[in-house]
Amino acid sequence: MKWNERVDALLKNEPIDRIPFFTFTLGFCAKNVGFPISSIYNNPEKSFYAQLWTQEQYGYDSGPFYGYASYGGAEFGGEIKLPNGEYEQAPSHGSFAVYQEEDMKKLAMPDVKKAGFIPLAMEFSHLQKKHNVPVSLVIGGPFTIAGNICPVETLCRWIIKKPEVARQLIKLATDHIKDIVNYWVETFGAGKVSLQIWEPLASNQIISPKQFEKVVFPYVKELGEKFISAKIRSTLWHICGEQNQNLRYWAEVPMGKADIVSVGREVDITTAIRNFGSKCIIAGNIEPAFIQTGNPHEIYELCKITIEKGKLAPRGFILMPGCETPVNTPPYNFYTIVKAIKEFG
Amino acid sequence: MPSEERKKEILQKLYDAVVNMDEDAAKEWSQTALNEDVNSYEAVTKGLAAGMGKVGELYTNLEYFVPELLLCADALYAGLEILRPHIKVDKVEVKKQIILGTVEGDIHDIGKNLVKVMFEAAGWIVHDLGADVQLHRFVEEQKRINADLIGLSALMTTSMLAIPKAIEMLRADDPATAVIVGGAPLTLEIARSYGADGYAKSAGEAVKEAIRIVNLKK
Repeated sequence: MKWNERVDALLKNEPIDRIPFFTFTLGFCAKNVGFPISSIYNNPEKSFYAQLWTQEQYGYDSGPFYGYASYGGAEFGGEIKLPNGEYEQAPSHGSFAVYQEEDMKKLAMPDVKKAGFIPLAMEFSHLQKKHNVPVSLVIGGPFTIAGNICPVETLCRWIIKKPEVARQLIKLATDHIKDIVNYWVETFGAGKVSLQIWEPLASNQIISPKQFEKVVFPYVKELGEKFISAKIRSTLWHICGEQNQNLRYWAEVPMGKADIVSVGREVDITTAIRNFGSKCIIAGNIEPAFIQTGNPHEIYELCKITIEKGKLAPRGFILMPGCETPVNTPPYNFYTIVKAIKEFG
Repeated sequence: MPSEERKKEILQKLYDAVVNMDEDAAKEWSQTALNEDVNSYEAVTKGLAAGMGKVGELYTNLEYFVPELLLCADALYAGLEILRPHIKVDKVEVKKQIILGTVEGDIHDIGKNLVKVMFEAAGWIVHDLGADVQLHRFVEEQKRINADLIGLSALMTTSMLAIPKAIEMLRADDPATAVIVGGAPLTLEIARSYGADGYAKSAGEAVKEAIRIVNLKK
């Protein structure tokens, strides 16, 4: 099977020849083809080709996509700094739109056709369509976007001290997600758009399960319903970090049969299958730091173990790093994962 | 001087104010401690700082999370602002010192800031270099301060690669430099492979690990 046939069959719950491998590679691809890492974020064409060529070189199953974890910062009026140092791989915050409650008054719903990096994301999606790569939109979850509009520390304090302000911000992020999803669906058509929702800030490394229940769960639930009604092809819910105590809530989020839940190393694949396995596809959870620092033998073994666990997922499994593959990953380590999936997948 | 019973009550109120994230109560009872001649050093160590020690435990045991920890720290600092100027220098023991920072290429500093709170509550002098710290600055600060320990933090898999480089630079200057590391992508194995003397999985464990390292280096 070709990579897109394999993924399409998995999403449709049809037989596949082997488990797919989604690489979560961005800066790694730029480095691989000799482009600046920042080009992944500020140059859709270079970004697209860097990813397409790297995919061709290694033969994995995820097509090029455009996205970054600090999404929402620039779109709501803050500043985003592109990566350019030796130890940088992703955009980071230069300043935030909101620092105190008064700043909320100036906050407006972004124009999805013009705000921040959205025009670049749209240009990228047109390239996806042109090259028959599935059109995708990658954005943060409502809590993560809220934590990109204001500093995470501020959001955390508000959860306890000013919960109504925290909710207002998270609701705004939720409504923005709906707006941008509508824009993509209007542009490319119902059933043609895949989503990735990254919600790392909602992990228990930051907030408690009770706080998750109050300030994350209602909004992701609302979004799950929205994505189904908007006929999204597939949503990849990327819930990296320590999410074990949040899983029972995530399990109640409405998801389509073609949806994917992607977990980090903190959530065991067997645990993920127990919580979501009959409902959607499971993806994960090779530790990115290990891909970067481990030796090929260890990585090969870890992939083998993970694949064996994943094979028990009733709705299917995708081998994937727990988060972005580090830009400085030794190429042979990366190749080792491809080798493992081809041998055991 | 207050009675022993009253003193005990004030110290307990300071402790509770921190544990209960109550900034107003921390200010109020710190002022009460001053007004009623409770020794300021004792009010800090047995009241506010002891409360923060409990908070560290609650955080390690997953009863408190970052929002609670931040508000407890706000209460701690509100009280410290009132009491610190009144601590008599001759009563202060020689304090341990740590240089802290998130390494070059990484702007994430929540974890590092929480670690800072725990060290300050434990009575250490913290030299916080902030986030995205150029590696040579750790070396320069250590030359200037000769701290007991250097604390290096990273949240990203890419920026964590700056940690072994920083350790190498620090040790080139002084092979005995003690280093503790932490941050989401790090593990004990990675910390060891980078040559760090210790690793703390969370802010709640950092001070205990720091004391272990410093005692070993004696």
